[in-house]
Amino acid sequence: MQRILKVAKREYIETAKTKTFIIGILMTPIIIGAIIFFTKAVSGGKAGPRPPINVAVTDLSKTLVEDIKTSFDDYNKRNPDRQFLLRSLEVQHDANSTEAQGKDKLRNGQFDVYVVLEEDIIEGPGKIRFYTYKPKPANVDAFWTIENFFRKAVENRRYEIEKIDQKLLARLRNVPLERLEIGAAGDKEKVQSQGQRIAGMMVPFFFMYLIFMGMVGTGQHMLSSIIEEKNSRIIEVLLSAVSPFQLMAGKILGLAGIGLTVMALWSAAAFAAARWQGLNVDVGSDLIVYFIIYYILGYILVSAILTGIGSVCNTIKETQSLMMPVMLIFIIPLMGWFKLVQSPNGTLARVLSFVPPVTPMVMVLRLSAGSGVWFVEIAVSILVLAVAVLIVIWAAAKIFRTGILMYGKKPGIFEILRWLRQS
Amino acid sequence: MSNMNAVLLDNVCKSFGRLQAVDNLSVRVPAGSVYGFLGPNGAGKTTTIRMMMNIIRPDSGRIEILGDGKIEQVKARIGYMPEERGLYRKMTARKVLKYFGAIKGVSDRELVERVPRWLERVELADWVDKKVEELSRGMHQKLQFVVTVINEPELVILDEPFSGLDPLNQDLLKNIIIQMRNEGKTIIFSTHVMHEAEKLCDYILLINKGKLILDDTLKNVRSRQSAHTVSIELEGDAAFVESLPMVTAVKSEGNRLDVTLADDDTQQFLQALMQQARVKAFEVKVPSLHEIFVSLVAPSGVQGSASDAEDS
Repeated sequence: MQRILKVAKREYIETAKTKTFIIGILMTPIIIGAIIFFTKAVSGGKAGPRPPINVAVTDLSKTLVEDIKTSFDDYNKRNPDRQFLLRSLEVQHDANSTEAQGKDKLRNGQFDVYVVLEEDIIEGPGKIRFYTYKPKPANVDAFWTIENFFRKAVENRRYEIEKIDQKLLARLRNVPLERLEIGAAGDKEKVQSQGQRIAGMMVPFFFMYLIFMGMVGTGQHMLSSIIEEKNSRIIEVLLSAVSPFQLMAGKILGLAGIGLTVMALWSAAAFAAARWQGLNVDVGSDLIVYFIIYYILGYILVSAILTGIGSVCNTIKETQSLMMPVMLIFIIPLMGWFKLVQSPNGTLARVLSFVPPVTPMVMVLRLSAGSGVWFVEIAVSILVLAVAVLIVIWAAAKIFRTGILMYGKKPGIFEILRWLRQS
Repeated sequence: MSNMNAVLLDNVCKSFGRLQAVDNLSVRVPAGSVYGFLGPNGAGKTTTIRMMMNIIRPDSGRIEILGDGKIEQVKARIGYMPEERGLYRKMTARKVLKYFGAIKGVSDRELVERVPRWLERVELADWVDKKVEELSRGMHQKLQFVVTVINEPELVILDEPFSGLDPLNQDLLKNIIIQMRNEGKTIIFSTHVMHEAEKLCDYILLINKGKLILDDTLKNVRSRQSAHTVSIELEGDAAFVESLPMVTAVKSEGNRLDVTLADDDTQQFLQALMQQARVKAFEVKVPSLHEIFVSLVAPSGVQGSASDAEDS
């Protein structure tokens, strides 16, 4: 044990001194901060000028063109450098040939948008047909605005026919609501801002991301540490003092320290940032306990896999091809976190809870999303994870033992399976 | 201590796939001796040493180191310098020594005293705070040796210790090895350069293709190989030597003649000489280890056809 600790200590100190580590620990919060800052800055900024968009309409109901024109004119007055040019394409012989003609003009670029309002649009089941041809991404927003003008025109006509007073409607619809978050009895009640709600959504993601970085982010250090010892032929010198298992355990332990350092610093930074923004983020103490359990098990699992991978490779480049399948598994919770937060007890969430490498991420996400995950599920998921950890450590120790002394050609899968069968 | 075996190998076998790297090898290394593991490249020396260090496990057989079958428990009492060796390039000499000392169970207090003392001994005292990558190859090797012995072990195992050292540093290392032997330590080293073994070893173990060929004291090895060659110097004409009945070949070496005899009765030869000329010099040539090595190994082929065994 003494030796494992000594190995761990060196691993921790030497890793903490590397540039990759220092840049990594600083860059992630800086990048996240920058993204938030720029998103805010961009959403507040004014839209720039845009070339006029040609809109043609064939109104088969023959009643709406004037209304639509009015709304277009209003818009154009307000936005002199972002014009919509509306023209009407009248029916010449029959509706079908006119529509075909309109589509042709759309294709040859005379129109940007061609809209057909069906005859029974107002009172019947008719549709608005909104044609575009190879739309530019920059115009998507404008198309949305145009769609709304047409919709609104139909809607307004319907109110008129049904004799509904729009002012009355607006008054009826307006139900004021104030979101208040109460603290302890003596505290002042705080008005809950939109940010607070979003922050509430982000907490589970933050915890999941933290676990992910804690498990996988240290992986790069693990791989480069093993590759360095292999390439500079230090491994066997180390094995003169420690057993392969002690060496592996020391590495895992030392880098666990690195992972915990990163998580502690990021948590502190996130907490401070939330406080600074006036957001109140409450995290239950039981969540912290589960977080630690899941992190430790998940971390050991992933780093044992990585020691196995690192030991059979000679260069960082070689490790990357083996890392791919491992990383792919983690994509699922990272991409689907929003869905998982909203239905923490859905099938996807439940299934992923028992897939060992992602168990920690998914379970922490579900628990921090905070609606009744069964205790049995927690217990079983921890059990499954623990069993997986034991199996992986057993296999990794065998691969590590043989792999670290192999130089040159990377062993194939069958050769590795043979190592596993050896005593 | 002296009647104990520092290393005991009992019917040890190891194969890599179809290659039999070590074939039923049994060795006893008495405590306090200098034991040379000799053999051509790929003979199985490194594999044997790695098994002694529990770095690879034998397929069958028993290994005891310092009287203990559980090698991990005695690693702190062993100093092992592998053939494939290196050090952390970004760490300073002092830190490297402190780290390896620490994982070999040496206390910090002892290391404070030992590190400068050993660096002094290998003439690296000025380099204590230099990074390993700043050291020359020779210095690197000397530092590597200090790493090996920083725990002041009872048993020192050196795999090809002299490779990469210039003659000056080779002598430095040899003197330290002799000094350690005088302190009662056991030293095992492997080499394929015979004159190194000849100067240092009490015992010789010769293996080829994983099989034991010779395991004896250096003295016995030499005397067992009968002396057929005599170097002589005579006054006057020496032409008659060739016609003597016991002589099979004569080779002129400057003033001297190297005479090969049909048997090892050198006394009879001397008498025959004395009857016909004044003998200025008469020396029975002890065969060098190199000659013994070649005579024992060569027929089965020294060519490194199995040299990959050393690497795996």
